[in-house]
Amino acid sequence: MSETGLLNLEVKNRNSRTMIHGYYEGAFKYTRPVRLDDDSLSVYLIHVGGGYVDGDTYGSTIKLEEGAELAVTSQASTKVYKSPSKPVEQRTTIQLGAESVLEYYLDPLILYKGAKFIQETMVEMEHNSSFFYSDIITPGWSEDGSNFQYDWMRNKLKVYQNGKLVLFDHLLLEPDDELEGVLQLEGHTHVGSFIIFHPKASREFGEWLYESVIGAHPHVRIGISNMEDNGVVVRILDNRTQTMERIISHIHTFARKELLGKGEISWRKY
Amino acid sequence: MTNGLMPLLQLSDSQFPSGAFSHSFGFETYIQEDVVTGTESFKQALMVFLKKQLIYNDGLACRLAYESIENGSAEDLLEIDHVLFATCVARETREGNRKMGERMAKLFMELYPSTNLSEYLSWIKEKKAYGHPSVVLAAVYHSLDISKKVAVETFLFTNLSSLVQNAVRGIPIGQTDGQRVLVDLQPIVEEAVQIIMNLSSEDLGAGSPGLEIAQMHHERLNVRLFMS
Repeated sequence: MSETGLLNLEVKNRNSRTMIHGYYEGAFKYTRPVRLDDDSLSVYLIHVGGGYVDGDTYGSTIKLEEGAELAVTSQASTKVYKSPSKPVEQRTTIQLGAESVLEYYLDPLILYKGAKFIQETMVEMEHNSSFFYSDIITPGWSEDGSNFQYDWMRNKLKVYQNGKLVLFDHLLLEPDDELEGVLQLEGHTHVGSFIIFHPKASREFGEWLYESVIGAHPHVRIGISNMEDNGVVVRILDNRTQTMERIISHIHTFARKELLGKGEISWRKY
Repeated sequence: MTNGLMPLLQLSDSQFPSGAFSHSFGFETYIQEDVVTGTESFKQALMVFLKKQLIYNDGLACRLAYESIENGSAEDLLEIDHVLFATCVARETREGNRKMGERMAKLFMELYPSTNLSEYLSWIKEKKAYGHPSVVLAAVYHSLDISKKVAVETFLFTNLSSLVQNAVRGIPIGQTDGQRVLVDLQPIVEEAVQIIMNLSSEDLGAGSPGLEIAQMHHERLNVRLFMS
């Protein structure tokens, strides 16, 4: 079966120059690499077409060779529509060589009425490679104004370090009488996540990050904790995409500065 | 071999030293934030905990571990142990499960030793496995010839019962109210067992974002009765 969208990116370092190779097919595309203000290289993923529908399958592979650095983002939010017969599936494989750095920053995923969505992201990294990941999941606008018209969504992020499973972030959202209540979304509509793996992402770093975010956004519902093997997981609940994006950008900037020694990222997509 | 009833009663006794006495698994955060304030709010939270957390995590893991033991598949058992550890994103809860798992494995080797349990305990000691109560109890139930369904039902009920005991101390609520919550949840436990029987290994480890945040927050509570 052919994929609705296919994308492959390979990044190499040759004589202190970053080389990007790759290809795409179907509904997926990516832009020419853009150099940002701080000299980071960035690539923008594009979905050509209105959104994801019934039975669509998407596959991406991103590979960074030793020492390569790249920032990847989407150009707009991902919209998933009705999937009456088969769920939409999106699978991404990321391979990170020694001392490589990938910042993977996804725009909001919007789930409309009747959507069924499976997203699986698998990361294979080394002890000394770095991986930043963020995503936002939100229900789409509906005619009668009610939230949570989608059927279900399943989001899996598996991170392996030198072959060992160090994080399996698994979220299942299935609208029912309890989804908006205690233990689940607790009156919120948006779920945001930020994942950090970096050799210096210690418990102290987790504490500083927490204090920094709470200092700037004292009322946000946020949890920050540490995984073994230098991982930090951040979970956020909120009601507005804008607020969520501000908080995620705060975390991203803090982590860039403390861990990568870089400044705030200014994506070129608006 | 004894008949299965007495060991089952012993394993599910709230006084059984499993270590669950010291862990609230995020509930203490809800108590301090005045989200869980009495019997009704506790019952609601416990019901969602059963339906969204125990079913997809500890409960399903217990069933899958039991089946791995039946099939003699050490590889699957290790995979379950690793997934349970890696899907728990709150450090204290992850550590709590690990410590309880190791402690229970040692204790049950004294009480109801079996080859499978002995093997799991040696993996824990060699750091090939992390240790988790679901896997330990699956091995124990299996060695006692307790059927898979009864094993999962006992396991779910024991989890709820220890959280009720903690709520009696932590909120606090009355002993009778606590027991009434357990009566009210019994039909939902039966449904949960049915659901678990129909899930696949792909479902293992699904989490609830609000609970994860509450479990993460527990690290930062100033006064704590529980370790998680």
